[in-house]
Amino acid sequence: MGDSSSPTSYIRMVQHLIEKCLLFHMSKDESMEALSKHANIKPVITATVWSELEKENKEFFEDYSKNREKSVREMRTMQMIRTMLMEIASEYPDKSEEED
Amino acid sequence: MLAVEHLRGSNGDDRDGTAMGHFSADDFADEALQLGDINFSDLFLGLDDGDVLPDLELDSEIFAEFSAAGVLEDTGAVTAGEAEQATTTTTTQDAAEVMDLEKLGASATTTTTTTTTTSTTAPSDARRLATAAHDDGNKGRKSSAAAKGSQGKRKAKVDWTPELHRRFVQAVEQLGIDKAVPSRILELMGIDCLTRHNIASHLQKYRSHRKHLLAREAEAASWSQRRRQMFTDGAKRPVDVNVHPWLAGAAPAIGILTPPPSAAVVPPLMRVPLHVWGHPTPEAPPPLLHYVWPRRPNTWPPQPPQDPSFWHHHYQRGGGEGWINPQAMMTNAAPCFAPARFVAPPVQGIVYRPPVPHPRPMSKNCSSQVQLDAHPSKECIDEAIGDVMEKPWLPLPLGLKPPSLDSVLVELEKEGVSLVP
Repeated sequence: MGDSSSPTSYIRMVQHLIEKCLLFHMSKDESMEALSKHANIKPVITATVWSELEKENKEFFEDYSKNREKSVREMRTMQMIRTMLMEIASEYPDKSEEED
Repeated sequence: MLAVEHLRGSNGDDRDGTAMGHFSADDFADEALQLGDINFSDLFLGLDDGDVLPDLELDSEIFAEFSAAGVLEDTGAVTAGEAEQATTTTTTQDAAEVMDLEKLGASATTTTTTTTTTSTTAPSDARRLATAAHDDGNKGRKSSAAAKGSQGKRKAKVDWTPELHRRFVQAVEQLGIDKAVPSRILELMGIDCLTRHNIASHLQKYRSHRKHLLAREAEAASWSQRRRQMFTDGAKRPVDVNVHPWLAGAAPAIGILTPPPSAAVVPPLMRVPLHVWGHPTPEAPPPLLHYVWPRRPNTWPPQPPQDPSFWHHHYQRGGGEGWINPQAMMTNAAPCFAPARFVAPPVQGIVYRPPVPHPRPMSKNCSSQVQLDAHPSKECIDEAIGDVMEKPWLPLPLGLKPPSLDSVLVELEKEGVSLVP
């Protein structure tokens, strides 16, 4: 937090961090945890800024939470598939060289 | 000064509040100059008694009202004594102003202890004002002021709570914004503590704010059109309408919304958002266009400029309901209309330093993880967060409307947290 010289810029920084979390489709709690662990930001601060952001951007957050469930499930599925494919691929390292 | 403003303000009411609030100290100053220029010795020439006011008409009704109004409470018995004396010596409506300015005079010159017989200062004020105040305008103002004197205050300071404001808006909308006249509004609201003056000035502010909102709404509407256009035009492949824009993967969005000035290269790929995250290109405001926010030209006013911010602050605290009508609120909140912050590389005047070109080792993995993983890895989060901490000048990736600073601070206070930077 070396360069946050005022509450304004600090809050802006927190907002920035929250937005990064949003890009990761993280939930509010996940964001609080992440920011606390990685950036030493008190969860209560994260929570407050998150709530205020939510107030200001109601539609965004509504859509966000609606779709988060769906997207998280989808992403998990995709991840599973990818993992499975990789496993399968690694079992047959010579498959690509087969001439058949 | 207050008295005069009030008086003039009342006059403004009659003009339907259109010219409210424009009276400044200058008005009073002018008058004061005139007062100062008066030669007092001339004033007293025709007077036998030091404290007899010149022959003027008495308007005892108004006068009585004024006395009853408790206007005199500050100077207490002295002024009351003055009042009685003045009554007996026949005063005019000017006496009303006399009372006001006596108060001022009394406080200014600390003559509160003067008695009725020996007070030269106050009556001299009175006479001074009586002479100076012979403008017709003054008389008109004073009479209406006196009539309003029932408040007992010069200009009640009204605290426009959200609840109060809501009733105000209700009343206005009932009447029709164009027909909304302060007196009718007052009737509809049915609140005692409000004067027409309060309503009038509030109405003026409300009207100007509405115009501002409507202008923004119009602009927002045109933007939503253009956004839709962009979305359909720019897609290199059919957009999966079932998938919410956020899930649509990076590319369609990126394909659409690459900022023209910078990256000429549009990564037209489906899955892997190349070079989005830690891309060392100096010019790139990180395109970060996973989300379909339209880029906006800087015509969109940045969110909290001076005037609207006043309203936002004021009404944010109360939950922000009374002010912005729901339609406008939705439009404002609509994520599609992100503020200019999203666009401009020089964000808010911050000097843009090109990111140091040492891409982090994890960046490619992490950037793809943004879209694809349910649980981003710790390293990716760490990297993203570190990015923010190191380069705070970067524009916000989503450009969400920032929260009002005051409400955040208030909330934090409630939690007992202080932001010690």
